Amino acid sequence: MSDVKTLAIEKLKLLNPEYPELIEAIVVANKKIYLSLKTDKTKIDIFTRIKLQIEKELSAIDGIDSVSVSLTSHSESMQSKADTRAVTSGISEVRNIISVASGKGGVGKSTISINLAVAINQLGFSVGLLDADVYGPSIPKLVGDRQKPKKSKAGKILPIQKYNISLMSIGFLVPEDSPMIWRGPMVITAVSQMLNDVEWGQLDYLIVDMPPGTGDVQLTMAQRVPMSGAVIVSTPQDLALIDAIKGIEMFKKVNVPILGMIENMSTFICPNCKNESHIFGFEGAKVEAKNQNVDFLGDIPLEIDLRECSDNGKPIMLSKTDSTVSKKFLEIAKLVKSKIEDNSNSEKPNIIIN
Amino acid sequence: MIPKNIILSENKKELTLEYEVKKSVMSAEFLRVNSPSAEVKGHSPAQKKTVSGKRGISINSIELVGNYAIKLIFDDGHSTGIYTWQYLQELFMGKDKIWKEYISELRKKGLYRD
Ligand SMILES: Nc1ncnc2c1ncn2[C@@H]1O[C@H](COP(=O)(O)OP(=O)(O)OP(=O)(O)O)[C@@H](O)[C@H]1O
Ligand SMILES: [Mg+2]
Repeated sequence: MSDVKTLAIEKLKLLNPEYPELIEAIVVANKKIYLSLKTDKTKIDIFTRIKLQIEKELSAIDGIDSVSVSLTSHSESMQSKADTRAVTSGISEVRNIISVASGKGGVGKSTISINLAVAINQLGFSVGLLDADVYGPSIPKLVGDRQKPKKSKAGKILPIQKYNISLMSIGFLVPEDSPMIWRGPMVITAVSQMLNDVEWGQLDYLIVDMPPGTGDVQLTMAQRVPMSGAVIVSTPQDLALIDAIKGIEMFKKVNVPILGMIENMSTFICPNCKNESHIFGFEGAKVEAKNQNVDFLGDIPLEIDLRECSDNGKPIMLSKTDSTVSKKFLEIAKLVKSKIEDNSNSEKPNIIIN
Repeated sequence: MIPKNIILSENKKELTLEYEVKKSVMSAEFLRVNSPSAEVKGHSPAQKKTVSGKRGISINSIELVGNYAIKLIFDDGHSTGIYTWQYLQELFMGKDKIWKEYISELRKKGLYRD
């Protein structure tokens, strides 16, 4: 009689795709179906209705004389189980989320994200950094750490603590050389899990290092991640600037305020002759920021030290605190902070509970 | 867009969002069944759950989350939905359509509002 059982389950699925999950036991004997359903005590009315619906539907099966559905309520229903699973979402105590983005790849988002995170921390704020680039995570390398995250008592992932910053990256979660093939929806899943299932705790700022590009994945991310604002990074080159504009438009489309633009690799100061040269053009991002009517937050020169510190896993903000570049990052951090504060002072709704 | 005022009605079953020029009233039930929390929305459209049986639900309290969202705490204990300004705007702009889709989803799955 096991085929009747399969048929019965199929029929339940047709009534409601969630019904089969409610089955505690199903027995077919003597032309009778006995079914017990997991029931939520608080919704007994609904379950009584479901019971009648199922009895009617299943008694129509050939060769079945009667159907008896019993409601058992010792276990929680699906809904209430889901509700208690996570009482607070991982970011509910994060005050500001800032994404660092660009249209074009390789312009220095990750480099700027980590140094900006350190700089904001040096201004006296608690800071986290989320590496949303699941294709090419760079944070583990930038901080020279690959430890596996631990779990909290509540089963949430604890961020890695390094340089006084709370960090999370797919690079901490999977081995370095394991091949990762991501399709669009999986990327969104991975990123929302790193937001919601990680116990970020109380943070003043969470910096999100975005993956390059302005495709569907980035757009969905800009929509799903509750951002206070976005920082756009570009080199002064025309090509990079065209992509940066696409980035600005993408955030505008989903109503994320653009905090401003940073020009990276703007000038090259020759270590020998100290002459400035403009390898990727000159002040292109500054001009474009003006054209796009967004603020210009500052420029970071092309600097061998910056790359070397990054490669060694200790951000320049911490290893060469007195360098020109570090001072520039600190200035940018102050601007970002004051822009965020301006936005949030003027733009907070009044919550009125009658 | 950030609402100017977020007002919970006296019976706690309606939330009014007042923007610069517009104003929108949404029922607690509408907000509850469209909760953006991961356990309702899932992590992809295919995982989306249809929440039923929420007619007459009320909102116990409202909390600001950062400067980007509010968290609504419903009287069925649901408290994991973080409604960003962006999402609230989507909800009120698509209100009628979203509600119609919800009702037909309920019907399709044999579920009820009560
Ligand atoms: N101002 C700079 N001076 C010297 N090197 C730099 C500078 N900015 C970034 N780099 C180097 O350029 C390379 C790319 O930078 P980074 O990884 O930060 O870019 P990205 O935009 O995050 O790239 P992706 O799009 O791949 O995520 C790195 O090797 C980094 O060390
Ligand atoms: Mg990067």
